[in-house]
Amino acid sequence: MLTFIGLGLYDERSVTVEGRDALRAADRVFAEFYTSRLVGASVAELESHHGVDIEVRDRAGVERDPETILEAAETDEVAFLTAGDTMISTTHVDLRVRAAERGVDTRVVHGVTAQSAASSLTGLQNYRFGKAVTLPFPYAHGADGVPASVVDGVEANRERGLHTLVYLDIKVAGSSPAGPQAGEDDEFMTADEAAGMLADDWDPDALGVVVARAGSPDPVVAADALSALADREFGGPLHTLVVPGDLHHLEAEALERLAGCPAALLPDE
Amino acid sequence: MGRRKKIVQECEKLMDSPEQIRNIAIAAHVDHGKTTLSDNLLAGAGMISDDTAGQQLAMDTEEDEQERGITIDAANVSMTHEYEGENHLINLIDTPGHVDFGGDVTRAMRAVDGALVVVDAVEGAMPQTETVLRQALREGVKPTLFINKVDRLINELQEGPEEMQQRLMDVIGDVNELIRGMTEEMEDIENDWRVSVDEGTVAFGSALYKWGVSIPSMEETGISFGDIIEMENNDQRQELHEQTPLSDVVLDMVAEHFPNPLQAQPFRVPRIWRGDDESDIAEDMRTVNKEGDIVFMATDIGMDPHAGEIVTGRVFSGTLKKGQELFVSGTAGKNRIQSVGIYMGGEREELDRGVPAGNIAAVTGLKDAIAGSTVSDVEMTPFESIEHISEPVITKSVEATNMDDLPKLIQTLQQVAKEDPTIRVEINEDTGEHLISGQGELHLEVITQRIRKNQGIPVTTGEPIVVFREQPQEASREVEGVSPNRHNKFYITVEPMAESIVDDIRLGEISMDMPELERREALQEAGMDKDTSQNVEHIHGTNILIDDTKGIQHLNETMELVIEGLEDALDDGPLAAEPVQGALLRLHDARLHEDTIHRGPAQVIPAVRDAVHRSLIDAEVRLLEPIQDVRIDVPNEYMGDASGEIQGRRGRVDDMYQEGDLMVIEGIAPVEEMIGFSSDIRSATEGRASWNTENAGFRVMADNLQREQIMDIRERKGMKLELPPSIDYI
Ligand SMILES: Nc1nc2c(ncn2[C@@H]2O[C@H](COP(=O)(O)OP(=O)(O)OP(=O)(O)O)[C@@H](O)[C@H]2O)c(=O)[nH]1
Ligand SMILES: [Mg+2]
Repeated sequence: MLTFIGLGLYDERSVTVEGRDALRAADRVFAEFYTSRLVGASVAELESHHGVDIEVRDRAGVERDPETILEAAETDEVAFLTAGDTMISTTHVDLRVRAAERGVDTRVVHGVTAQSAASSLTGLQNYRFGKAVTLPFPYAHGADGVPASVVDGVEANRERGLHTLVYLDIKVAGSSPAGPQAGEDDEFMTADEAAGMLADDWDPDALGVVVARAGSPDPVVAADALSALADREFGGPLHTLVVPGDLHHLEAEALERLAGCPAALLPDE
Repeated sequence: MGRRKKIVQECEKLMDSPEQIRNIAIAAHVDHGKTTLSDNLLAGAGMISDDTAGQQLAMDTEEDEQERGITIDAANVSMTHEYEGENHLINLIDTPGHVDFGGDVTRAMRAVDGALVVVDAVEGAMPQTETVLRQALREGVKPTLFINKVDRLINELQEGPEEMQQRLMDVIGDVNELIRGMTEEMEDIENDWRVSVDEGTVAFGSALYKWGVSIPSMEETGISFGDIIEMENNDQRQELHEQTPLSDVVLDMVAEHFPNPLQAQPFRVPRIWRGDDESDIAEDMRTVNKEGDIVFMATDIGMDPHAGEIVTGRVFSGTLKKGQELFVSGTAGKNRIQSVGIYMGGEREELDRGVPAGNIAAVTGLKDAIAGSTVSDVEMTPFESIEHISEPVITKSVEATNMDDLPKLIQTLQQVAKEDPTIRVEINEDTGEHLISGQGELHLEVITQRIRKNQGIPVTTGEPIVVFREQPQEASREVEGVSPNRHNKFYITVEPMAESIVDDIRLGEISMDMPELERREALQEAGMDKDTSQNVEHIHGTNILIDDTKGIQHLNETMELVIEGLEDALDDGPLAAEPVQGALLRLHDARLHEDTIHRGPAQVIPAVRDAVHRSLIDAEVRLLEPIQDVRIDVPNEYMGDASGEIQGRRGRVDDMYQEGDLMVIEGIAPVEEMIGFSSDIRSATEGRASWNTENAGFRVMADNLQREQIMDIRERKGMKLELPPSIDYI
């Protein structure tokens, strides 16, 4: 049995009770932290909190060589952990399909994801989001600035009046194709950095909403023009950014009251 | 005033008058007497003593050149010569003749407008004669001919006037046959560029004994071949030299028959520059406008122990001066010129007034320039790159004996690679074992010796090994490459590319640097069909990627990564991680993940790399080895032994014929087997043979040798000694 468990947004306590039980009951626990990370807890803290040993797999250990995980799941209770939800944006459906192909039973225990947090914290309605995009570090896609597909995605949503959730790139140390590099640290793109890139390459005057440290005790939500957001600081990771489309009147009010949006940037009543 | 100073002043006076300038190179087969001839010209211009000229070899300034008795580096000198009451500035480049240093000839031809081709009267036109002629004509450089060592016909071969004239006419005929063949297809060469005794574009003489004649000189001095034979036989060489000095005969020919920059640039610039011919810069170059925008083409990089790096090249427009801040093509930012000067023999003479259009200049401060860089004061289309036909074929490992020297060795190797584009350097900081690949054994020997002696770095070197290639042999089926996360797929085929296209890429006549329309035309002319030529996405080495996909969303954003994966796969082929050549790859289709992150480098590069390798295997990729043309001149009685030396080396004898009293054997053999040939042929023929080799590209190795060779290379490189099971055809 292979159980996919989403660990939720922030630390060892963000997992659901069902997830916690499943994880503690497993014979072997695998995890990957290259697609996302729990900022509030280290692997050791997770292990001691739940009283389990966690085998962290790198990208190659999941994508190229899933054999170890699948083989274990044929005979044992195996848990596979990721931050957030194991299927939303982390795209582990491939592993689940492979397991199914081998006749291994699978189960998904959901976790809270950035997507739902962005909607809940900003007051922007989940019905009114279009497709999400990821803004990669410039070096990661071999060109400068914002990739055209990101701008296209935002614009296509806005044409239809929809909001866009912009995930911000993270680079987990040791996950580059060349393997671990000396002196390498985890890198997280910050919302001000992202707002700056979008302001430079797209539209400095467009409204943006920053969501920082969702799921932590001190989340920050801030709405302003992209160029203004670019000059602010929002503290530690993780950050995401929302580029709103047309605003429903209650959404506008929420941005003003809950995200400090300057009134001038909101539609007149 | 010193003599040197006086000559510099004369040169300075002439620099501004393009009608009076001639830029020329002396080029020939090895040992035919280029440097000895240069001595004569230097003495004639008063730059070295008349007594030592002919033995001094003043242009062979390097110690190793003198020790080995050959020219290694092209050398520049400026001199003046009065002809028909008018003074001329002659900027001359003496080039090396040994094949291994052919890159210097290729580069020199970019700087000059005329090539003085020297042929040894006894040996006649030899393989390198053909090569240097081709190098000159490709650059639009006009040839004249000097037949040297005529004294040997008289003294060694005891020929009479008739025999001698017949032999000389044969040499001219051979040279003209080569010129005709090479210029036939060059539409821009309107006049007949064959040389002619009657027109005065051929001269004869002895560089060693410093006399020379041509039809115009004979008319002037009244000295005939009969007189020459008599005076040579009567030990009257000094008188002969005084009555008909070689330097006058040759320099008169240079002044009369080579184009000046005003005549040459309008013709040469379109051949080597693809910019807008209506632009101001084009007009400046055509008119050799010294007031115009600055355009300088770097053709040679050298090192001066005091002044540092010296860039030599041709000023096509404007005037180069100290303090100018200039663009260097292919690099960002500008370089500031520290000094500008001309060459006076082995030394440079800095000129504060600068060096104007139409001249060859020596410049310091252009730290980003490499041979082939375009240097200019406004941003412009760069000149065509200077491509040397022959790729490196032989490799040696170099290691610093003392660990402390490691940083200095790396720096030196990087400099070596910059100075000589015909070698390739691979630096491996992890193992400390660096690889140098060059044109031949001598090439590598000279470089390593210079590292030891000039730089004082003790190094140990490995045995020479040859460089291999991998090439598809047939068209593959469509192969699917899947990314590790399985969200992205690429569909690729590979097929062998037409030889004609490969050649044109190698010569730089087809490249990604040229405007798209021109590239399409060039590809179609070389035999590619129209649709394919319109979809060229990338050229890497001699391989082309065609994008046959239509309207795939996000593909353009992913293409950089596709290309990265493709280049990885082609640099390290599937058989033995040797470079792939002559592959035409097509991307037929692709499936991409919606989000950039899930189609990033970690996904796309391995997917493409894997697909390219599997398609190459499906196309029955095979190992190729470098081969050489071999020519042996040997007395009749050693013919069997000599041809046995070729045949015993997996070689093939293509032709044997009599030339004079020698037999000529022509054939080909693999470079790998030719290592150590020199001593074997010497002992097989008791030192009576002379031989020439010239790199002739790569050839597929016989099937029964493939596996063993592949395993040898894999073992050497520390790769798995197991081929993928799909390689079942070897
Ligand atoms: N007999 C005779 N020997 C000559 C003549 N010219 C040159 N040599 C000899 O030929 C040999 C080669 O002369 P170089 O001038 O070094 O020839 P090169 O063409 O510059 O040689 P590389 O630069 O190495 O290709 C020397 O030993 C010269 O003395 C000549 O006119 N007559
Ligand atoms: Mg020489």
